[in-house]
Amino acid sequence: MLRFITRRFLETIPVLFIIATATFFMMRLTPGGPFDSEKQVSPEIRARMEAHYGLDKPLFQQYLLQMKHLLQGDLGPSFKYPGRSVNEIIADSFPVSLELGCEALVVALVFGLAAGMVASLKQNSAWDHIPMGLAMIGICVPTFVLGPLLISAFALHLDWFNAAGWYFPRDRVLPALTLGAYYAAYIARLCRGGFLEVLNQDYIRTARAKGAGGAQVLFKHALRGGILPVVSFLGPTVAGVLTGSFVVETIFGIPGLGRFFVTAAFNRDYFMVMGSVLFYACFVMACNLVADVVLVWLNPKMRFE
Amino acid sequence: MYLTLLCLALLAGGCGKHETLVEIGDRTQELRIGNEGEPASLDPAVATGVPEHNVLVSLFESLVFADGKDLSPRPGAAESWEISPDGIVYTFHLRKNGRWSNGDPVTAQDFVESYHRVLMPSLGSQYSYMLYPLKNAEAFNLGKITNFNEVGVKALDDYTLQLTLHSQTPYLLSMMFQDSWDPVPVAVIKKHGAIDDRTNPWTRPENFVGNGPFVLKEWRINSHILVEKSPTYWDAKKVRLNKIYFDPTEDADTAERMFRSGQLHSDTQPPPSKVAFYRKNKPDLIKVYPYLGTYIYKLNVTRPPLNDKRVRKALAMAIDRNAITETILRAGQEPAYFLTPPDTAGYTCQTKIKEDASAARQLLAEAGYPDGKNFPTVEVLFNTLQTHKAIAEALQQMWKKNLNVNIVLHNEEWKVYLDSLRQTNYFIGRFAWIGDYVDPSTFLDLFTTGSGNNETGWSNAEYDRLCRVAANTGNRAARYDAFQKAEAILMDEMPIMPIYFYTQARLIRPDVHGWYPNVIDDYDFKSIYLVPEKN
Amino acid sequence: MADSTPMTMVEPVETGGGASFWQDARHRLWKNKLAVFGLAVISVLAVLCFTAFLFPNITGYSYEQQDLVLGPAPPSHAHWLGTDPLGRDLLTRLLYGGGISLSVGLCATAVSLIIGVIYGAIAGFAGGKLDMLMMRFVDILYALPFVIFVILLMVFLGQNIFLLFVAIGAVSWLTMARIVRGQVMAIKRQEFVEAAHALGLRRGRIIFRHIVPNLLGPIIVYATLTMPEVILLESFLSFLGLGVQPPHSSWGVLIKEGAEVMEEYPWLLLYPGFVMALTLFSLNFLGDGLRDALDVRGSKD
Repeated sequence: MLRFITRRFLETIPVLFIIATATFFMMRLTPGGPFDSEKQVSPEIRARMEAHYGLDKPLFQQYLLQMKHLLQGDLGPSFKYPGRSVNEIIADSFPVSLELGCEALVVALVFGLAAGMVASLKQNSAWDHIPMGLAMIGICVPTFVLGPLLISAFALHLDWFNAAGWYFPRDRVLPALTLGAYYAAYIARLCRGGFLEVLNQDYIRTARAKGAGGAQVLFKHALRGGILPVVSFLGPTVAGVLTGSFVVETIFGIPGLGRFFVTAAFNRDYFMVMGSVLFYACFVMACNLVADVVLVWLNPKMRFE
Repeated sequence: MYLTLLCLALLAGGCGKHETLVEIGDRTQELRIGNEGEPASLDPAVATGVPEHNVLVSLFESLVFADGKDLSPRPGAAESWEISPDGIVYTFHLRKNGRWSNGDPVTAQDFVESYHRVLMPSLGSQYSYMLYPLKNAEAFNLGKITNFNEVGVKALDDYTLQLTLHSQTPYLLSMMFQDSWDPVPVAVIKKHGAIDDRTNPWTRPENFVGNGPFVLKEWRINSHILVEKSPTYWDAKKVRLNKIYFDPTEDADTAERMFRSGQLHSDTQPPPSKVAFYRKNKPDLIKVYPYLGTYIYKLNVTRPPLNDKRVRKALAMAIDRNAITETILRAGQEPAYFLTPPDTAGYTCQTKIKEDASAARQLLAEAGYPDGKNFPTVEVLFNTLQTHKAIAEALQQMWKKNLNVNIVLHNEEWKVYLDSLRQTNYFIGRFAWIGDYVDPSTFLDLFTTGSGNNETGWSNAEYDRLCRVAANTGNRAARYDAFQKAEAILMDEMPIMPIYFYTQARLIRPDVHGWYPNVIDDYDFKSIYLVPEKN
Repeated sequence: MADSTPMTMVEPVETGGGASFWQDARHRLWKNKLAVFGLAVISVLAVLCFTAFLFPNITGYSYEQQDLVLGPAPPSHAHWLGTDPLGRDLLTRLLYGGGISLSVGLCATAVSLIIGVIYGAIAGFAGGKLDMLMMRFVDILYALPFVIFVILLMVFLGQNIFLLFVAIGAVSWLTMARIVRGQVMAIKRQEFVEAAHALGLRRGRIIFRHIVPNLLGPIIVYATLTMPEVILLESFLSFLGLGVQPPHSSWGVLIKEGAEVMEEYPWLLLYPGFVMALTLFSLNFLGDGLRDALDVRGSKD
């Protein structure tokens, strides 16, 4: 196990390097620069600003400089917010996204697993179709529709919540539901599929024939096998959830990292984009690693793959 | 299981009514404003946008400030001033009781050093041109001279500041409403880094020092900015608000929902469909007033067929601006038949575009495209935003119907669009100009030869001359006469096609007192106060 | 190395001539009412939308025809589903937009399918070092924040429907590749393949007669399940302003515009939302049905 983990760590370094290089060139080659604005500045001033950030040097030299900074852990300044460094912005906004993501995951897991389990136990009955139908809503209604609908109903008409913001504990509810709905739907389906597969195995039938009750059967045998596909799915997805969703953060006015991902690309905030990309990549690989470890622990068969 | 969880969530939501943030604000005199965006910087010499300006107005005070009702210059850091008979020398007498928020007195040297800083080429201030009326300021800013003593700003003593202009600029005082004219605490800035480093952290809440009615308390990016009443401000007794909360939500729908759910006292960006709704159903919550800006389409005169002025005029005449303002925009905007918004400092252009489809068809035929035959593909470039799209689509249909020409729409993402404009790489480009100060020159100077914001490739010597005449005299009649002639040329040559004049639609609660609409939408925070609404 | 696939793997079968397996599957699919319903809905919608797409004036209005005087109007005799703020007929835009959304879905899915299958098959079949390198590459791509790259891609390549398909397809093939690879590897080890090999059958014959039929199952299922994701992705791009450009419409554009005015003109969200949700539901049910039908192991008594 330890060898497995260390090997993964070592493998991430060349991966990050490739990602950084690809990002760098892609950003620089895209038209439009950080200092383009509707009220254009004079060429002299633009030249000064570019010189200040080192953008006037030849491209390859900038690339090497950037790599050097990255190795030192310095993600650079933000163009859009002079005076703030990328490290700082990420450190400030990531905890918010992390909190939102965790709450959404809790919503997703609770609703999803519950729906999936119930549906698999009572396959093809109303108890199967209705929860799965509801779960479908999460997949078929985009977040930018679901969010405003929830706000309209619960915040504006019923006045139970604020329409936006992230100040009070109750502000977490609607965003978590909106973000979690999509994942809840997927988890419900995967869970149901996984459980069904296990429940139909011979050994389960044997246990049942021997008189073991429903819940006992579930929890002793099925859970392990049924959760496998959910964990596989969650691995890469968790990273996406935890680093913030642009749509949910915009609609609910949440100061998280997800928004920066998108706005940085639109603003050509080069260092911010690089920082976000690398941060996200590290996070994804970490989550994948955790997921793989959990998978191996759950399913000894896979240890030898 | 669903049900229990839902109940728990709803319980957490709070049973029964809780006090809204606005009601709390009314009680504690905390004004909560939707500020349309996150300020990129709170350094007056670096900031460029409206969200920044709104916050800076509370944190700094220049020599004069704008009266909320009529935008007349009122004594700010300067308690009085004299203007020499030739209009070139302004002498300001600063208040002896003016203080920075750290207790230091505000002196004339502070102003001199602040203006020096703005004009430093190494700082790269984007609004440094606002200081160009000062003698030699432009030369210093472009690096042509390096001794700041040659620039027309001097501290005669601790409390007397003298400005020497290079020509009469009758609107100088109204230029001072812009943040570049603010004093900054140079000594404090130097403590935190180089004086010309844009990334200097002196504007962080823990470092911040300003001379305005409020001081910076909290600043959390994408979350909020909170400013508190400054005890050292010379006129603190007059300030009734205790705090101002700036909300940076950029999404118009989200901001409107926040207003509706009692989180904001005011929201300046209601979506068009909501504006119509409020005007009809809740007129006491919305104010619509003219704003100093014009929405135009720039025409690239270097690209055929737009190099023929008949084609340009035909396009400008073959559209129905009223249809656009009435059905698409619906927020009281006025159609624009010329460039400068009417009644800008008392000036209204007399030359108007005449909307006439048959005359337009005739012009087009004269230019060689009878009934739109053989008209080459022309693209309208705009940046991706719902309203721009709707307007472009409407115009596209109008041109098709009236002139039988097929104009293609091309929308580009913001930065790419700006880049295209800058490189004059477009046919027709959507553009908007918000005036920097209240005088027609802020609009008309745009299209002089070589102006960075011209971007149309159009150049007219007579137009340039007229703009120069207006810039070099203080005589209002002479200036406005020059403007009339210049704008007449503009409307004849049509390198740009005005579409509509901006209005500001603002959602604002009746609890907000002391606020008045004005054409640059500046806040006068000293006069604003809150009175809880009686239910 | 763990295989993170989001769906259950289909147990490969000895297909022989292949006939009975497929007949069996078809029979099982038919019994699944939801899947049949899904198939029916998709077919009807597809016919309607593509007809509207190919014959733009069939409803009596064009998708770009504006009526500024009328403005946004609720459903009426003249406009069955109402009009949008520019006075354009919603029914026409919905059908026309459906044609675009479904095309985007199909093409992007096809692109992702082709790339994914080829890539996964090569990796799975080759095994060893090549496989490891190829999968590492997939891991790298997985680790990229997709949103930033799609934005850059769209900005870089200009805004054009064709490029939209390619961009979406180019980022969706990863999971397909993983699944195909996993499946190929599982099949490779099966006894019947070894037997065929021992019997001296050429590589090509093994691939086509034995491996490919076993791949078809998961591919079909996954393709049917990719379509909804692609359609949703297109709507997200529209939210950002990068999707289909005016005056064309797509479901994503209609839903985004509808969401903005849902309180004043609810029909603008209701109808497009309902139709898109219905399509996504149907695709998902169909995909589930296909998976149940093709999954021998999970057979119910």
